Amino acid sequence: MQGIEIQFPGVKALDGVDFTLRRGEVHALLGENGAGKSTLIKCLTGVNKMDAGKIVLEGKEIRPTDPKNAMDLGISTVFQEINLCDNLSVAENIFIGRQPMRRGQINWKEINRRSQELLERFHIHIDVTRPLAQYSTAIQQMVSIARAVDVDAKVLILDEPTSSLDNEEVQRLFAVMRDLKKQGMGIIFITHFLDQVFEMSDRLTVLRNGHLVGVYNASEITKLELVSSMIGKDLDEIFDLKRASIKKDAPVALEADHIGAPGKVEDISFTQQKGELLGFAGLLGSGRTETAEMIFGVTRMQDGTLKIDGHTVKINEPMDAIHHKIAFCPEDRKRDGIIGDLTIRENIALALQARRGMLRPMSRKEQDDLSNKYIKMLSIATPDAEKKIRELSGGNQQKVILARWMATEPNLLILDEPTRGIDVGAKAEIQRLMLQMCEDGMSIIFISSELDEIIRCSNRIIVMCDGKKAGELNGEGCTQADIMRMIAGEKDGETA
Amino acid sequence: MKKSRESIFKNKLVLAVIAELLILVVAGILEPGFFHVEYNATTGMLYGSLVDIVNRSAEITIIAMGMTMVIALGGTDISVGALVAVSGAFALKLLRWDVTLYPTPGDYTIAPFFLVILVPLLICTAMGLFNGVLIGKFKLQPIIATLILMVAGRGIAQIATNGKQFTTGYTPYRFIGQGSLLGLPFPIIITIVICAAVMIFVRKTAFGTFVESVGVNPNASRVTGLKSDRIIIIVYTLTGFLSGVAGLIYSSRISSCDSNNAGVNYEMDAILAVVLGGTSMTGGKFSLAGTIVGSLIIRTITTLVYYFGITSESIMAFKAVIIAVVIIFQSEPVGKWLATRQARKQKAGELRG
Repeated sequence: MQGIEIQFPGVKALDGVDFTLRRGEVHALLGENGAGKSTLIKCLTGVNKMDAGKIVLEGKEIRPTDPKNAMDLGISTVFQEINLCDNLSVAENIFIGRQPMRRGQINWKEINRRSQELLERFHIHIDVTRPLAQYSTAIQQMVSIARAVDVDAKVLILDEPTSSLDNEEVQRLFAVMRDLKKQGMGIIFITHFLDQVFEMSDRLTVLRNGHLVGVYNASEITKLELVSSMIGKDLDEIFDLKRASIKKDAPVALEADHIGAPGKVEDISFTQQKGELLGFAGLLGSGRTETAEMIFGVTRMQDGTLKIDGHTVKINEPMDAIHHKIAFCPEDRKRDGIIGDLTIRENIALALQARRGMLRPMSRKEQDDLSNKYIKMLSIATPDAEKKIRELSGGNQQKVILARWMATEPNLLILDEPTRGIDVGAKAEIQRLMLQMCEDGMSIIFISSELDEIIRCSNRIIVMCDGKKAGELNGEGCTQADIMRMIAGEKDGETA
Repeated sequence: MKKSRESIFKNKLVLAVIAELLILVVAGILEPGFFHVEYNATTGMLYGSLVDIVNRSAEITIIAMGMTMVIALGGTDISVGALVAVSGAFALKLLRWDVTLYPTPGDYTIAPFFLVILVPLLICTAMGLFNGVLIGKFKLQPIIATLILMVAGRGIAQIATNGKQFTTGYTPYRFIGQGSLLGLPFPIIITIVICAAVMIFVRKTAFGTFVESVGVNPNASRVTGLKSDRIIIIVYTLTGFLSGVAGLIYSSRISSCDSNNAGVNYEMDAILAVVLGGTSMTGGKFSLAGTIVGSLIIRTITTLVYYFGITSESIMAFKAVIIAVVIIFQSEPVGKWLATRQARKQKAGELRG
């Protein structure tokens, strides 16, 4: 690929970017949100049309018209958001659109057998005839990768393939990637996990604001250099974060007493002081999200009691929680967060409007002021507040959702994986913002799969395992090993 | 910067208006008398094809106000036609009560007039509520839930009138569909009042935004604190009520009730009006103004076809052709094509300038 240029109204998404992928290499594509990674990929796969430049594949110029066409040309993609049909079987999902035929009919036996084989290469042993929806996000992710790999691809594009996988699954994926590499496939690997970049890739291309910053050999660049080339700022500034300081006599803001929803989480007890940042660590499916959803009323709390500022409260649905000044940024941004077709302004105003009720509408001016304030405060990259939220990049969408809840001026803010799938710079921004809000007296529950950010920010950490609380740790002086030991069930250290 | 968004939103409305004007121009060329509007001093009413179009579109426009929001929620309501029949049947039942006791139609009513109006409206509102509860609380698919009353509604109407077709000569009742106020046919007045009321309710409160939000992403709306089931119930209940109003107008026009033929195909016309007006069937953003234009387009086509003596059997075919053209013009690929063409022209213009 040489000199791809594409323009979007308002924001120039890509400007004269060159990108070369060699046969049999893993090439990491890096950059902050809105740097142009996704746009580049969309050009490659024919989702977006290029205004200028050309794509050359094995010496021939190609012009992919749509993803299917790109796939036929040999460019296969696994997009960040899982694009599968929930209610079809796993095997159907893998072979959709290219079912093997026998005598004019779909050969189901063949489909199921080949799907099984394919997934076994990933060490996944599941019943491929069952609907995909029955399996976890991680499995679904692997299925979409399996599908992309099975077509005769020359170029495989993986857009954030690891963001919903746990460590073991990541290693499985890497094994498969190494395998494919040996076969001569070129892999474009987009991720925000820098460790994985260094573990897997041969070369790196860094984009910033639609421009090419540089192409590096993975062995010749340090992590620090890489990060500063991505964000163009000094690193010290980013990682200089201080834990929120809680006053000794700060009152208890939230008290959970043996709360639970049978089948999901059970017997969770903890207290949280005003202005405290409480981290929730644990593996995928350990009950972190479910606990948060229970406090916010998305999931019905069936056992135990919840006290806010010392008073027992009953929260049956999100509206009740909002009235108790709780806010919740959900984990699945696309499903539970953004209202895609509405504008940034409407998305920001929505929660506050919901609390005020239907009959007390916010004037257009109030909405404008509110959205402009947060666009500025959170530096949301957009030409104006009237852009549809689905047209923003993931990190900016996350900021809009954050703005939606900050606008309600909550006392307790629950953030479920607020930094997932967003880059180092925005991550640091969000972390700094969290800590600032804690200093200002807000209590925050912070859920994350990334142990280092949990440790860096939290005053205390609650470790979850198998739907139960495994224990509690102090943020200060805690190491990743402590948390992992607790998850693994070794009862040393202080358990509550 | 704001221009870009508004032009997209307005585009569809503008397209619908252009389509309506084009159809009218064709009508004017073919029949110069088409635009003739005359004031008749004795009846105190305006006459002419244009007045007729607005007058006759009243039922569909009123129903389509509700249907717009039903569709914005990603749903559909196919029971509205049956509710039109229900409303007329109960009104006539109250006017005549029992035809064996009062065999001749005349200028009288058995029940007090306010009940003649109120009871059918309440029944239709309750039926709308029933739809809303099935969809909002029991999470039935809208087309299935409203299918129940689509079928049962006409049965209920038959039962109310013992399967007979009543006629009435009661003047106040006939005024609803046949009277005039300020020179305008009364249905037009009712339509204006209803449209204004719905628009104010939707846009001057946050209700419109809530409907759009639930229509786009019900999960996220719930997490954001919206009570989506309640919003769904309100919308379907409102649609039931509006169908009741349309039913009164219809039965008053013909001074009678006809459980088999009243409101037939109204659900289709109402959905078409909404789609022609630029609201997407997938839910989300909606335009009430667009719906009004959409309803006028449908009625203009119908009137045009009648006007030129084309048999009523072929009306559906004519409608289908014109509607297909309008909808294709509003479709996304065509819109994109137009946009890129425009952009290219602009670029060329800039280069020249």
